[in-house]
Amino acid sequence: MTCKDLDLLLPLRAAGALAPDEATHVEAHLARCPTCRAEADADAAVLALAKLPPPTEAERRATAGIANGALAALRRGDRRRRTFQRVAAGIAVAAAALLAVLAPAVLRRTPTIPPAAAVTWQEPDLDTVWEDAGLLDIEVTAAAATTSDETSDESDAEIASIDL
Amino acid sequence: MDDEGDRPTLRVVAGGVTPQRREEEALVAAFLVGDDEAFGELVRRHEPLVLAIVRRYAQTPEDARDLAQRTFLRAFEAARRSLRRGPRAALPFRRWLVRVAVNLAKNHRRDALRVLRAPLEDAEAEHAGVTEATAAESLLHKERELRLRAAVLLLPRRQREVLTLRLDAELPFAEIADALGITENSAKVSFHHATRALRAAFALEDRP
Repeated sequence: MTCKDLDLLLPLRAAGALAPDEATHVEAHLARCPTCRAEADADAAVLALAKLPPPTEAERRATAGIANGALAALRRGDRRRRTFQRVAAGIAVAAAALLAVLAPAVLRRTPTIPPAAAVTWQEPDLDTVWEDAGLLDIEVTAAAATTSDETSDESDAEIASIDL
Repeated sequence: MDDEGDRPTLRVVAGGVTPQRREEEALVAAFLVGDDEAFGELVRRHEPLVLAIVRRYAQTPEDARDLAQRTFLRAFEAARRSLRRGPRAALPFRRWLVRVAVNLAKNHRRDALRVLRAPLEDAEAEHAGVTEATAAESLLHKERELRLRAAVLLLPRRQREVLTLRLDAELPFAEIADALGITENSAKVSFHHATRALRAAFALEDRP
Protein backbone atom coordinates (compact mmCIF):
# COMPACT_ATOMS: atom_id res chain seq x y z
CA MET A 1 0.00 0.00 0.00
CA THR A 2 1.42 3.38 -1.06
CA CYS A 3 0.98 6.85 0.43
CA LYS A 4 -1.36 7.70 -2.48
CA ASP A 5 -3.53 4.67 -1.68
CA LEU A 6 -3.82 5.90 1.86
CA ASP A 7 -5.10 9.33 0.90
CA LEU A 8 -8.72 8.19 0.60
CA LEU A 9 -8.52 5.85 3.58
CA LEU A 10 -7.16 8.22 6.23
CA PRO A 11 -10.39 10.23 6.70
CA LEU A 12 -12.29 6.93 6.90
CA ARG A 13 -9.82 5.73 9.53
CA ALA A 14 -10.40 8.95 11.52
CA ALA A 15 -14.14 8.29 11.32
CA GLY A 16 -13.70 4.67 12.42
CA ALA A 17 -15.11 3.38 9.14
CA LEU A 18 -12.34 1.10 7.86
CA ALA A 19 -13.03 -2.55 7.21
CA PRO A 20 -10.82 -4.85 9.36
CA ASP A 21 -8.55 -5.90 6.47
CA GLU A 22 -8.16 -2.27 5.33
CA ALA A 23 -7.33 -1.21 8.88
CA THR A 24 -4.57 -3.82 9.07
CA HIS A 25 -2.90 -2.53 5.89
CA VAL A 26 -3.30 1.12 6.90
CA GLU A 27 -1.82 0.62 10.36
CA ALA A 28 1.13 -1.29 8.87
CA HIS A 29 1.83 1.59 6.51
CA LEU A 30 1.44 4.24 9.21
CA ALA A 31 3.92 2.41 11.44
CA ARG A 32 6.66 3.01 8.88
CA CYS A 33 5.58 6.34 7.26
CA PRO A 34 5.81 9.53 9.38
CA THR A 35 4.32 11.68 6.57
CA CYS A 36 1.14 9.62 6.46
CA ARG A 37 1.04 9.53 10.27
CA ALA A 38 1.04 13.35 10.30
CA GLU A 39 -1.75 13.34 7.71
CA ALA A 40 -3.73 10.84 9.76
CA ASP A 41 -3.34 12.97 12.91
CA ALA A 42 -4.48 16.11 11.06
CA ASP A 43 -7.58 14.31 9.72
CA ALA A 44 -8.42 12.98 13.17
CA ALA A 45 -7.97 16.46 14.72
CA VAL A 46 -10.22 18.25 12.26
CA LEU A 47 -12.98 15.63 12.46
CA ALA A 48 -12.84 15.59 16.28
CA LEU A 49 -13.30 19.35 16.25
CA ALA A 50 -16.14 19.18 13.69
CA LYS A 51 -18.06 16.60 15.69
CA LEU A 52 -20.89 17.94 17.85
CA PRO A 53 -20.53 17.67 21.62
CA PRO A 54 -22.95 15.26 23.33
CA PRO A 55 -26.47 16.63 24.03
CA THR A 56 -26.70 18.88 27.07
CA GLU A 57 -29.16 18.32 29.90
CA ALA A 58 -31.32 21.16 28.52
CA GLU A 59 -31.45 19.44 25.13
CA ARG A 60 -32.41 16.14 26.71
CA ARG A 61 -35.21 17.78 28.68
CA ALA A 62 -36.55 19.68 25.66
CA THR A 63 -36.60 16.61 23.46
CA ALA A 64 -38.12 14.24 26.01
CA GLY A 65 -41.71 14.39 24.73
CA ILE A 66 -41.18 13.94 21.02
CA ALA A 67 -43.28 10.77 20.73
CA ASN A 68 -46.35 12.29 22.39
CA GLY A 69 -45.99 15.61 20.56
CA ALA A 70 -45.58 13.95 17.18
CA LEU A 71 -48.49 11.58 17.79
CA ALA A 72 -50.77 14.45 18.85
CA ALA A 73 -49.77 16.45 15.76
CA LEU A 74 -50.33 13.43 13.53
CA ARG A 75 -53.80 12.82 14.94
CA ARG A 76 -54.63 16.53 14.57
CA GLY A 77 -53.58 16.29 10.93
CA ASP A 78 -55.71 13.17 10.43
CA ARG A 79 -58.75 14.86 12.04
CA ARG A 80 -58.23 17.97 9.90
CA ARG A 81 -57.96 15.83 6.78
CA ARG A 82 -61.13 13.88 7.65
CA THR A 83 -63.00 17.12 8.40
CA PHE A 84 -61.86 18.59 5.11
CA GLN A 85 -62.92 15.45 3.25
CA ARG A 86 -66.34 15.51 4.94
CA VAL A 87 -66.83 19.20 4.20
CA ALA A 88 -65.71 18.72 0.58
CA ALA A 89 -68.06 15.75 0.19
CA GLY A 90 -70.94 17.77 1.75
CA ILE A 91 -70.31 20.68 -0.59
CA ALA A 92 -70.22 18.33 -3.57
CA VAL A 93 -73.53 16.71 -2.56
CA ALA A 94 -75.17 20.10 -1.92
CA ALA A 95 -73.92 21.40 -5.27
CA ALA A 96 -75.26 18.32 -7.07
CA ALA A 97 -78.66 18.66 -5.35
CA LEU A 98 -78.84 22.36 -6.17
CA LEU A 99 -77.99 21.64 -9.77
CA ALA A 100 -80.68 18.95 -9.98
CA VAL A 101 -83.30 21.40 -8.62
CA LEU A 102 -82.29 24.46 -10.59
CA ALA A 103 -81.28 22.95 -13.90
CA PRO A 104 -84.83 22.39 -15.32
CA ALA A 105 -85.92 25.90 -14.35
CA VAL A 106 -82.80 27.48 -15.80
CA LEU A 107 -83.10 25.48 -18.99
CA ARG A 108 -86.80 26.42 -19.37
CA ARG A 109 -86.05 30.15 -19.10
CA THR A 110 -83.40 30.14 -21.73
CA PRO A 111 -84.79 31.97 -24.84
CA THR A 112 -84.73 29.85 -27.95
CA ILE A 113 -85.50 30.64 -31.60
CA PRO A 114 -88.61 28.77 -32.73
CA PRO A 115 -87.56 26.34 -35.42
CA ALA A 116 -90.47 27.36 -37.60
CA ALA A 117 -89.30 30.98 -37.71
CA ALA A 118 -85.84 29.93 -38.76
CA VAL A 119 -87.16 27.75 -41.58
CA THR A 120 -89.65 30.27 -42.98
CA TRP A 121 -87.29 33.24 -43.11
CA GLN A 122 -86.91 34.62 -46.60
CA GLU A 123 -84.81 37.26 -48.18
CA PRO A 124 -86.71 40.58 -48.10
CA ASP A 125 -88.00 42.09 -51.30
CA LEU A 126 -85.46 44.71 -52.46
CA ASP A 127 -88.12 46.94 -53.99
CA THR A 128 -89.84 47.20 -50.65
CA VAL A 129 -86.56 48.07 -49.00
CA TRP A 130 -85.83 50.79 -51.59
CA GLU A 131 -89.33 52.13 -51.21
CA ASP A 132 -89.09 52.19 -47.43
CA ALA A 133 -85.82 54.08 -47.66
CA GLY A 134 -87.38 56.76 -49.97
CA LEU A 135 -84.84 56.09 -52.72
CA LEU A 136 -87.50 55.21 -55.27
CA ASP A 137 -89.10 58.66 -54.78
CA ILE A 138 -85.82 60.26 -55.77
CA GLU A 139 -85.73 58.20 -58.96
CA VAL A 140 -89.29 59.00 -59.71
CA THR A 141 -88.64 62.71 -59.17
CA ALA A 142 -85.65 62.55 -61.52
CA ALA A 143 -87.73 60.81 -64.14
CA ALA A 144 -90.45 63.41 -63.67
CA ALA A 145 -87.89 66.19 -64.17
CA THR A 146 -86.71 64.62 -67.44
CA THR A 147 -90.29 64.37 -68.70
CA SER A 148 -90.93 67.96 -67.70
CA ASP A 149 -87.86 69.14 -69.71
CA GLU A 150 -89.10 67.34 -72.83
CA THR A 151 -92.54 68.86 -72.34
CA SER A 152 -90.96 72.26 -71.93
CA ASP A 153 -89.03 71.96 -75.26
CA GLU A 154 -92.24 71.04 -77.04
CA SER A 155 -94.05 74.01 -75.49
CA ASP A 156 -91.22 76.33 -76.57
CA ALA A 157 -91.56 75.06 -80.17
CA GLU A 158 -95.27 75.58 -80.03
CA ILE A 159 -94.82 79.11 -78.75
CA ALA A 160 -92.24 79.86 -81.41
CA SER A 161 -94.60 78.66 -84.14
CA ILE A 162 -97.24 81.06 -83.06
CA ASP A 163 -97.33 83.87 -85.40
CA LEU A 164 -97.67 86.95 -83.38
CA MET B 1 -59.62 1.84 8.46
CA ASP B 2 -62.77 1.20 6.55
CA ASP B 3 -61.40 1.17 3.05
CA GLU B 4 -59.86 -2.13 2.07
CA GLY B 5 -57.79 -0.40 -0.63
CA ASP B 6 -56.13 1.83 1.98
CA ARG B 7 -54.93 -1.05 4.09
CA PRO B 8 -51.13 -0.98 4.12
CA THR B 9 -49.23 -3.99 2.95
CA LEU B 10 -45.87 -5.09 4.19
CA ARG B 11 -42.93 -4.76 1.88
CA VAL B 12 -41.70 -8.03 0.49
CA VAL B 13 -38.01 -8.19 -0.28
CA ALA B 14 -36.36 -11.31 -1.59
CA GLY B 15 -33.78 -12.30 1.03
CA GLY B 16 -31.53 -10.12 3.17
CA VAL B 17 -34.29 -8.62 5.34
CA THR B 18 -33.12 -8.46 8.90
CA PRO B 19 -35.52 -9.41 11.70
CA GLN B 20 -35.12 -5.85 13.00
CA ARG B 21 -36.33 -4.39 9.71
CA ARG B 22 -39.20 -6.85 9.52
CA GLU B 23 -40.23 -5.88 13.02
CA GLU B 24 -40.02 -2.21 12.10
CA GLU B 25 -42.21 -2.68 9.06
CA ALA B 26 -44.74 -4.53 11.19
CA LEU B 27 -44.76 -1.55 13.59
CA VAL B 28 -45.31 0.92 10.73
CA ALA B 29 -48.14 -1.22 9.34
CA ALA B 30 -49.70 -1.52 12.82
CA PHE B 31 -49.55 2.23 13.33
CA LEU B 32 -51.07 2.92 9.94
CA VAL B 33 -54.12 0.88 10.91
CA GLY B 34 -54.51 2.86 14.12
CA ASP B 35 -52.15 1.37 16.73
CA ASP B 36 -50.73 4.37 18.62
CA GLU B 37 -48.49 2.17 20.75
CA ALA B 38 -46.67 1.11 17.61
CA PHE B 39 -46.05 4.76 16.79
CA GLY B 40 -44.59 5.40 20.25
CA GLU B 41 -42.30 2.42 19.87
CA LEU B 42 -41.09 3.58 16.45
CA VAL B 43 -40.38 7.08 17.70
CA ARG B 44 -38.53 5.77 20.75
CA ARG B 45 -36.37 3.57 18.52
CA HIS B 46 -35.42 6.31 16.07
CA GLU B 47 -35.48 9.43 18.22
CA PRO B 48 -31.71 9.45 18.92
CA LEU B 49 -30.95 9.08 15.20
CA VAL B 50 -33.28 11.91 14.16
CA LEU B 51 -32.07 14.24 16.91
CA ALA B 52 -28.45 13.52 16.01
CA ILE B 53 -29.14 14.61 12.43
CA VAL B 54 -31.16 17.75 13.14
CA ARG B 55 -29.43 19.21 16.21
CA ARG B 56 -26.52 20.60 14.18
CA TYR B 57 -29.03 22.85 12.41
CA ALA B 58 -31.19 23.78 15.40
CA GLN B 59 -30.61 27.07 17.19
CA THR B 60 -32.19 25.95 20.47
CA PRO B 61 -33.17 22.60 22.06
CA GLU B 62 -36.80 23.49 21.30
CA ASP B 63 -35.91 23.93 17.63
CA ALA B 64 -34.32 20.48 17.67
CA ARG B 65 -37.50 19.01 19.18
CA ASP B 66 -39.72 20.71 16.59
CA LEU B 67 -37.52 19.58 13.73
CA ALA B 68 -37.51 16.01 15.06
CA GLN B 69 -41.30 16.00 15.40
CA ARG B 70 -41.75 17.33 11.89
CA THR B 71 -39.34 14.68 10.63
CA PHE B 72 -41.44 11.90 12.15
CA LEU B 73 -44.67 13.37 10.78
CA ARG B 74 -43.37 13.75 7.25
CA ALA B 75 -41.70 10.35 7.29
CA PHE B 76 -44.97 8.71 8.34
CA GLU B 77 -46.84 10.55 5.62
CA ALA B 78 -44.25 9.47 3.07
CA ALA B 79 -44.35 5.86 4.31
CA ARG B 80 -48.17 5.87 4.17
CA ARG B 81 -48.23 7.22 0.62
CA SER B 82 -45.58 4.80 -0.60
CA LEU B 83 -47.33 1.82 0.99
CA ARG B 84 -50.54 2.76 -0.80
CA ARG B 85 -48.69 2.68 -4.10
CA GLY B 86 -47.82 -0.94 -3.43
CA PRO B 87 -45.06 -2.99 -1.83
CA ARG B 88 -42.60 -2.23 -4.62
CA ALA B 89 -42.70 1.50 -3.90
CA ALA B 90 -42.23 1.01 -0.16
CA LEU B 91 -38.96 2.01 1.48
CA PRO B 92 -37.78 1.05 4.95
CA PHE B 93 -39.13 3.58 7.45
CA ARG B 94 -35.64 4.37 8.76
CA ARG B 95 -34.58 5.43 5.28
CA TRP B 96 -37.54 7.80 5.06
CA LEU B 97 -36.53 9.28 8.39
CA VAL B 98 -32.95 9.96 7.32
CA ARG B 99 -34.02 11.48 4.00
CA VAL B 100 -36.65 13.71 5.56
CA ALA B 101 -34.37 14.81 8.43
CA VAL B 102 -31.59 15.74 6.01
CA ASN B 103 -33.98 17.73 3.84
CA LEU B 104 -35.63 19.55 6.72
CA ALA B 105 -32.28 20.35 8.29
CA LYS B 106 -31.04 21.80 5.01
CA ASN B 107 -33.69 24.54 5.20
CA HIS B 108 -32.33 25.65 8.58
CA ARG B 109 -28.71 25.88 7.47
CA ARG B 110 -28.68 29.65 7.07
CA ASP B 111 -30.15 30.30 10.52
CA ALA B 112 -27.65 27.93 12.10
CA LEU B 113 -24.80 29.71 10.30
CA ARG B 114 -25.96 33.08 11.63
CA VAL B 115 -25.90 31.78 15.20
CA LEU B 116 -22.42 30.27 14.78
CA ARG B 117 -21.06 33.54 13.46
CA ALA B 118 -22.35 35.52 16.44
CA PRO B 119 -19.72 37.01 18.76
CA LEU B 120 -18.21 34.70 21.35
CA GLU B 121 -19.55 36.69 24.30
CA ASP B 122 -21.30 33.65 25.75
CA ALA B 123 -18.11 31.64 25.63
CA GLU B 124 -16.24 34.48 27.33
CA ALA B 125 -18.81 34.60 30.09
CA GLU B 126 -18.54 30.83 30.54
CA HIS B 127 -14.87 31.08 31.33
CA ALA B 128 -15.04 33.98 33.76
CA GLY B 129 -13.24 33.13 37.01
CA VAL B 130 -10.71 30.62 35.66
CA THR B 131 -7.03 31.53 35.30
CA GLU B 132 -6.17 33.81 32.43
CA ALA B 133 -4.07 31.25 30.54
CA THR B 134 -6.71 28.52 30.84
CA ALA B 135 -9.46 30.91 29.85
CA ALA B 136 -7.52 32.06 26.79
CA GLU B 137 -6.87 28.48 25.73
CA SER B 138 -10.50 27.50 26.24
CA LEU B 139 -11.65 30.50 24.28
CA LEU B 140 -9.30 29.70 21.43
CA HIS B 141 -10.57 26.11 21.36
CA LYS B 142 -14.18 27.28 21.48
CA GLU B 143 -13.58 29.76 18.69
CA ARG B 144 -11.96 27.12 16.47
CA GLU B 145 -14.79 24.70 17.22
CA LEU B 146 -17.44 27.25 16.25
CA ARG B 147 -15.56 28.31 13.11
CA LEU B 148 -15.20 24.68 12.11
CA ARG B 149 -18.90 24.02 12.68
CA ALA B 150 -19.65 27.01 10.44
CA ALA B 151 -17.24 25.59 7.85
CA VAL B 152 -19.17 22.30 7.96
CA LEU B 153 -22.37 24.16 7.11
CA LEU B 154 -20.62 25.89 4.22
CA LEU B 155 -19.48 22.65 2.59
CA PRO B 156 -21.13 21.67 -0.72
CA ARG B 157 -24.43 19.94 -0.05
CA ARG B 158 -23.41 16.35 -0.79
CA GLN B 159 -20.20 16.60 1.22
CA ARG B 160 -22.04 18.19 4.14
CA GLU B 161 -24.75 15.52 4.15
CA VAL B 162 -22.30 12.64 4.05
CA LEU B 163 -20.02 14.19 6.68
CA THR B 164 -22.80 14.95 9.15
CA LEU B 165 -24.56 11.62 8.67
CA ARG B 166 -21.28 9.94 9.53
CA LEU B 167 -20.05 12.27 12.30
CA ASP B 168 -23.34 13.12 14.01
CA ALA B 169 -25.59 10.13 13.27
CA GLU B 170 -22.70 7.62 13.04
CA LEU B 171 -24.38 5.81 10.16
CA PRO B 172 -22.40 3.21 8.18
CA PHE B 173 -21.40 4.42 4.72
CA ALA B 174 -23.64 1.80 3.13
CA GLU B 175 -26.67 3.29 4.89
CA ILE B 176 -25.61 6.86 4.10
CA ALA B 177 -25.32 5.91 0.42
CA ASP B 178 -28.70 4.21 0.56
CA ALA B 179 -30.42 7.22 2.13
CA LEU B 180 -28.86 9.72 -0.28
CA GLY B 181 -29.31 7.56 -3.37
CA ILE B 182 -25.59 7.35 -4.21
CA THR B 183 -23.04 4.55 -4.24
CA GLU B 184 -21.09 3.66 -1.14
CA ASN B 185 -17.84 4.53 -2.89
CA SER B 186 -19.21 7.93 -3.86
CA ALA B 187 -20.19 8.54 -0.22
CA LYS B 188 -16.65 7.70 0.90
CA VAL B 189 -15.13 10.00 -1.71
CA SER B 190 -17.45 12.82 -0.58
CA PHE B 191 -16.37 12.24 3.01
CA HIS B 192 -12.72 12.43 1.95
CA HIS B 193 -13.31 15.71 0.07
CA ALA B 194 -15.21 17.16 3.03
CA THR B 195 -12.37 16.35 5.42
CA ARG B 196 -9.81 17.87 3.09
CA ALA B 197 -11.98 20.99 2.64
CA LEU B 198 -12.25 21.45 6.40
CA ARG B 199 -8.52 21.04 6.81
CA ALA B 200 -7.89 23.59 4.09
CA ALA B 201 -10.33 26.01 5.73
CA PHE B 202 -8.45 25.87 9.00
CA ALA B 203 -5.00 24.93 7.83
CA LEU B 204 -4.75 22.76 10.92
CA GLU B 205 -1.72 20.98 9.57
CA ASP B 206 0.28 24.23 9.88
CA ARG B 207 -0.72 24.80 13.48
CA PRO B 208 1.25 23.43 16.40
